[in-house]
Amino acid sequence: MSNFNVTLDQFSGPLDLMLHLIKDKKLDLFDLQVDVLIDQYILFLDSVENKLEIATEYLYELAALVEYKSKKCLPVDPKPLEVNDYEEDTKDQLVRRLIEYQQFKDISQLLNERFMLRQKQFEKPMEKQLLDIADDENIRFVHADQNDLLKAMQKCLLRFNYTHPSQVKFTKTEMSIDDRSEQMIIMISNLKEPFSFEDMIQDVEDRSLLIVTFLAILELNRRDILEFWVENTEVYFKRGKLYGFDA
Amino acid sequence: MDLTLKSILEGIIFVFGEEGISLKQLSDALSIEEEHIKELLNEMIIDYRDENHGFELVCANDLYKFISKADIHDYVQRIISLTKSRQLSQSALETLAIIAYKQPITRTEIEEIRGVGCDMMLKKLQAQDLVREVGRSESAGRPILYEVTEEFLDLFKLMSLNELPNLPTYQEESSDNQLFE
Repeated sequence: MSNFNVTLDQFSGPLDLMLHLIKDKKLDLFDLQVDVLIDQYILFLDSVENKLEIATEYLYELAALVEYKSKKCLPVDPKPLEVNDYEEDTKDQLVRRLIEYQQFKDISQLLNERFMLRQKQFEKPMEKQLLDIADDENIRFVHADQNDLLKAMQKCLLRFNYTHPSQVKFTKTEMSIDDRSEQMIIMISNLKEPFSFEDMIQDVEDRSLLIVTFLAILELNRRDILEFWVENTEVYFKRGKLYGFDA
Repeated sequence: MDLTLKSILEGIIFVFGEEGISLKQLSDALSIEEEHIKELLNEMIIDYRDENHGFELVCANDLYKFISKADIHDYVQRIISLTKSRQLSQSALETLAIIAYKQPITRTEIEEIRGVGCDMMLKKLQAQDLVREVGRSESAGRPILYEVTEEFLDLFKLMSLNELPNLPTYQEESSDNQLFE
């Protein structure tokens, strides 16, 4: 078992991870031992199991690797030509992708150097004075037309959307009195008479449902499905005379 | 006092600052054909590179402007402390590189190369005005095509995409040395 002191965050994707493993295990990219790579890949994903939510992209590549390996594990076909071809294809494809990815990874380092250098260079805004004294008709000198305005506006909106992600609100859908009444008709059929108010609110978890339940009780009482009476400040209920008749 | 053509160009470019000024605008203003102006500007670009100047002339997508030389940064920092400069993540750099070399390119094509989804990254790069949509591909589903912007060229100090360095090639024989030293 090798120990990984790295995390998924360090890699910008499964190909990046594979390249790291290849380098780490000193594998030859042009004569790639895919089996070794797969084992290392799986080992690594195991070690970052707790990061599964960001590992999904990695699992997708894993599936392809495992398919390749499982095909290799199968007994050799009497007519091995096709199987071998397929294996070569998958492997070649993987190597081709790795090489192409490596190209862009390398070039992005080069680009980053240019970027960092450019970040050290400053420019001056256009003379504000000039804008103040320029005739309106000369404003075109600030080479901008309606399209530029449109683009600028779109850029603004895009940036706005990006910095203000659309809000997601979770709101409770309140149960209607009618729905709650239907529920309660079923519920009270199982209750031993007389039953208490507590019996009828045993499934209530929040205030709004409590209120709806109370209103449903009044409604059921109005429809003679539920009867109640009061004894020593305690409310008692029983099924009303129209219980079971009212659809 | 008669200024030389180069001095006039220098003055105009100075006034227009970061906006930059195009070859055509300079040509119109001086009533001299673009060819000749371009020759002068190319000479000026080289002139400003020497050690007698603290700023240089750059051109990104046909807009000329002056920027201070990178060496000046350290001296400026002695006068006013500068916060950490803007950074681009590895993912952002890779995505930009792929688009710059392969444009116009669809999101799926980028994802094929990078092996990861880049929907969010494309939105970020668009918001930073480094990438823009440029029509749709004729292939199935007519996916959106992307390309890099002038802002990208400026940020990486490129006159045009032709100035991008060649993609590296790896030889089988010395793969180890070349790929992973």
